[in-house]
Amino acid sequence: MAHVKVVRRSMRPEEWTLLRFSWLKRGIYADMEEITEITIRDARQISENEYEFTDGPERPLRRGDLYFTPDGTAFIRMKAHIPERMKGKNLCLQLKTAAEMIVRINGRYAGGIDPNRERIPLDFYKDCDELDIEIEAYNRSKPDDERNPESLNIRGCRQVFNGAFLCLTRDNLQSLIYDCVLLTDIAQSEYFDENLRSFLFIELSHALDLVDFDNWEGVDAAAEYIRRHIYENTDYKGSGNVALVGHSHLDIAYYWRRIHAVQKNARTILIQLRLMDRYPEFRYTHTQAYTYETLEKYYPEIFEELKQKVAEGRFEPVGAMYVEPDCNVPSAESLIRQFLYGQLFFRRAFGRTIDNAWLPDVFGNSSIMPQILKKSCVDYFVSNKMSTWNDTNRFPHNNFIWKGLDGSTVYACVPPTHFITWNMPSQIQENWEAYQDKDSGGATLSMYGYGDGGSGVTEEMMEMIRRFPHVSAMPKCEVTGGADFLHKNLGNNPNLAVWDGELYLEMHRGTFTTKSDIKKANRLLEFMFRDAEIACALRHPDGTGYPADEIRSAYKKLLLNQFHDILPGSHIHPVYEDAMADYRQIEKTLNGILGEKADSPYFNSLNFSRSVPVFYPSPEGTFERHGVRGSFAHVDAQGLAAGRVMDSDDSTSWLTVSSDGKTLRITTPLYRAELHPDGSFVSLYDEKLHRQWVREGHGFNKVHLYGDYPGMYDAWDILPNYRDVEYPFIVSSPLSLSVMDGLCAEFETTLQTELSSWKMRIRFFRDFPGIEIEHIADWHEKHRLCKVNFAPDVLTREVVCDTSAGFIRREWTKNTSWQTARFEVCHHKWFDLSETGAGLAVINEGKYGLGLEEEEVSLSLLRATIRPDIESDMGHHDFCVMIVPHEGDAVSAGINRKSLEYNIPMHRTGLSFPEPLRSVLCSSSLVLQSFKLSEDGRSFILRLCEQDGRRGQIVFPFRVKLLNMLEDSVAEGNAFPFRPFEILTFGMPLS
Amino acid sequence: MVRSYIVDKLAPRIQGDGGWVEFISMEGSEITLVFRGECSKCAILDRCTDWIAQKIKNDLGLEVRIKAVRRKPFFWDS
Repeated sequence: MAHVKVVRRSMRPEEWTLLRFSWLKRGIYADMEEITEITIRDARQISENEYEFTDGPERPLRRGDLYFTPDGTAFIRMKAHIPERMKGKNLCLQLKTAAEMIVRINGRYAGGIDPNRERIPLDFYKDCDELDIEIEAYNRSKPDDERNPESLNIRGCRQVFNGAFLCLTRDNLQSLIYDCVLLTDIAQSEYFDENLRSFLFIELSHALDLVDFDNWEGVDAAAEYIRRHIYENTDYKGSGNVALVGHSHLDIAYYWRRIHAVQKNARTILIQLRLMDRYPEFRYTHTQAYTYETLEKYYPEIFEELKQKVAEGRFEPVGAMYVEPDCNVPSAESLIRQFLYGQLFFRRAFGRTIDNAWLPDVFGNSSIMPQILKKSCVDYFVSNKMSTWNDTNRFPHNNFIWKGLDGSTVYACVPPTHFITWNMPSQIQENWEAYQDKDSGGATLSMYGYGDGGSGVTEEMMEMIRRFPHVSAMPKCEVTGGADFLHKNLGNNPNLAVWDGELYLEMHRGTFTTKSDIKKANRLLEFMFRDAEIACALRHPDGTGYPADEIRSAYKKLLLNQFHDILPGSHIHPVYEDAMADYRQIEKTLNGILGEKADSPYFNSLNFSRSVPVFYPSPEGTFERHGVRGSFAHVDAQGLAAGRVMDSDDSTSWLTVSSDGKTLRITTPLYRAELHPDGSFVSLYDEKLHRQWVREGHGFNKVHLYGDYPGMYDAWDILPNYRDVEYPFIVSSPLSLSVMDGLCAEFETTLQTELSSWKMRIRFFRDFPGIEIEHIADWHEKHRLCKVNFAPDVLTREVVCDTSAGFIRREWTKNTSWQTARFEVCHHKWFDLSETGAGLAVINEGKYGLGLEEEEVSLSLLRATIRPDIESDMGHHDFCVMIVPHEGDAVSAGINRKSLEYNIPMHRTGLSFPEPLRSVLCSSSLVLQSFKLSEDGRSFILRLCEQDGRRGQIVFPFRVKLLNMLEDSVAEGNAFPFRPFEILTFGMPLS
Repeated sequence: MVRSYIVDKLAPRIQGDGGWVEFISMEGSEITLVFRGECSKCAILDRCTDWIAQKIKNDLGLEVRIKAVRRKPFFWDS
């Protein structure tokens, strides 16, 4: 049968309606008066609200001129004379721009202009003759725009100034446009009934028939037609219950530096405040104590207005945390501080404790979170990504109860749709349809407002809300606040399902690895803070002289850099430079606080004796580790007491090495090992346990270089097919013994690609079972992922992973799609593979990504991504891991303690803990996580963490207070039971 | 001089907007620059190269032409 493809060349009726709708926008402005007295001065921001003026003096700015420069801020001044014909009327300032502008008029913050809004109402200035307009403008729009992706093509660094105008608008026409926005969105959406959509197109066409597009007569008639024929028609019934919460996601750094977020935040908040002037029903939620802090510091006028709106219940601080941090990589103590410093700010500024965590954009959430939330006075948790970004499985709940590692539970909301919407009916309907807890969860949450770079809610979104009740096919929509939504629908809801365990995001798996330096520095400093605070608490037992402000200020900088586009590595190059500069500054501060002296004894800040050999710097040392010459030694270091480096003999007879030309055979008192020239193990026979650790024919300590092409989300993602293409490392210098002494023998090999070199130093110890591998890379690849694989001869189906506050068990089998999707996971200081009686752990000092294949794990070492940072991870790297075969399982072998030893060096501070507290802590199985002056300076805070999964009791010889993580008193006594993986905070008197 | 000016002064500014510029060569008055990152797909890159030429004229006193070579990553390469 012949087939002819019919190509329709004439316009469809629906297209005719949409075309006429677009024509309506031409008539919005009834009168325009161009502002011609305009000057501009180009600057570049060099720190928070500090500028250098680089592009010449102030100059006139005329329509058609180019303005803005790369990484530029422009200061624009205008003088506008209001013509007689416009006086006393509802004027607007109109300026179309791709930039972001904070506008002050006659000394008052008037509003914001950006790609999502082109005018500011001037009602406040109705009686003025002149307007002095000052604009602080910056051209750092976000690189993605869900609503207008095509507009990005012209959002470059240099813009054409399209003029600024005083305008009178045709309010009735603008209103009709909003009607058409609403109705054409429904008419074009597959989420609505086909008959309804057809009906809307027909009736909209009839309405637009009444408009004269030359003189704009008939606009009122068209609006009336829509009211009578569409809004009053209730034949089409909708269903659903949707809570609308105004919000703007603000990335503190991403495609912009954190210094630029100060303005983005101020502009966003200013826009919301001005919108509240006009829409009394508008409520807005805003996160991150840090953003409020910067507003208070740099824009006190806006902050005062914000405080007023907070008091009125219209501007709602949400989120409780200092920033929206990554929730995979930071340690438990870091997450606690995020809440502590966040909540203390909200208490000081607004007199309230926030009871929700608001983390719409984070890349998954660790199972240690619920306990930390709960003990930080946070009962509710909101995070969007699992519902819309999972690449394999549909996360099964939206409103539910989340149970964490220790069994703590919080109410959790994973909204069904994205956290950035522009409040269109189709988006609301989509949210309702995607909502999976319709029968148990109450209303569903839909956030509206532009975000990522801030911006927030627009007049159009508010006008939509006012029209929703007139559309019978819409779900029932309630404008509400974040906390109100959570309290009403989740609080005390007995029907909610329970999700037990981490909220793993099936995407962005590369963020455990990207920007290796940042993660390494974060780990190092997390533990340096621990030791610096302990040192200060011991030195200043009555609290006097304790450098609380200095520590707090430095800590906040660490927390800031844990933001979810900084620590995960998903940012442009200048953000990396800023972070590393911050880390250097923090390290310098902490070194000053620690105050090590070369002649002071070492202090073991761990509440248990050390067993792992330490590396101590010494110019005469045999070894070089992390670029520092020194030696390895055992230490005599009881818990919380002075430690002593022990002498070792220089005998080298404990080691024998032989080679058959292909492999190297190494015999120590503990092992018989055979290694390939590339440093991978053929065999590792344990002389003590009489067993083999390497699965025959499989890689063990084998470095692999894989093709890594995730696409657009280059820094974020690792795809499941990353192992499909592997590139060879060439052995340029085969493994051989380099140096040794009486305790350690070091073997070295160098691998090479065309672009990079990779040196591996393998260290065996005479009487310690750990085998340390130092990787020294000169890394210049692109689109490569380097991993080191371990395929041990251990029969297990699970990998035990450290979370920083206890361990979780992960299956490495691939029976289900959930297991399969977790091919790359986050762990902290160690992972362990054990069978009954023995196992093998790998401890690291700043690596987090772990690949799980059946019967093989791979530690992710380095990536080489190019977006957003072309140079990501390029250059020199030096990091160590330690393989620790052991008897028993990870707990009985004390792997966690070893990992703490490995990550927390002893410092020459000459300190020791006072008795009887020392004995209490050293006899407990709890880990000393923190010891510091309380934030109010009136007591010491002792934080202990159960990390082995056991129950017990801690007994103090004096009365102490049990506190929550905000340092509020909960109970008092001297004996306290603890549960598996519980974190306990105690307050004890000074001195 | 031109190379260091571009590398030290201008490149950090372009990086601030997610772009990337690399100096390749200067032959006579023609400077060849490679643009990566956001610059590689910028529809109005010519405005930026004009600005670079203007800056070089103002700060170094040299009249130059910029030859821009775009290096798009594979995921933007259509």
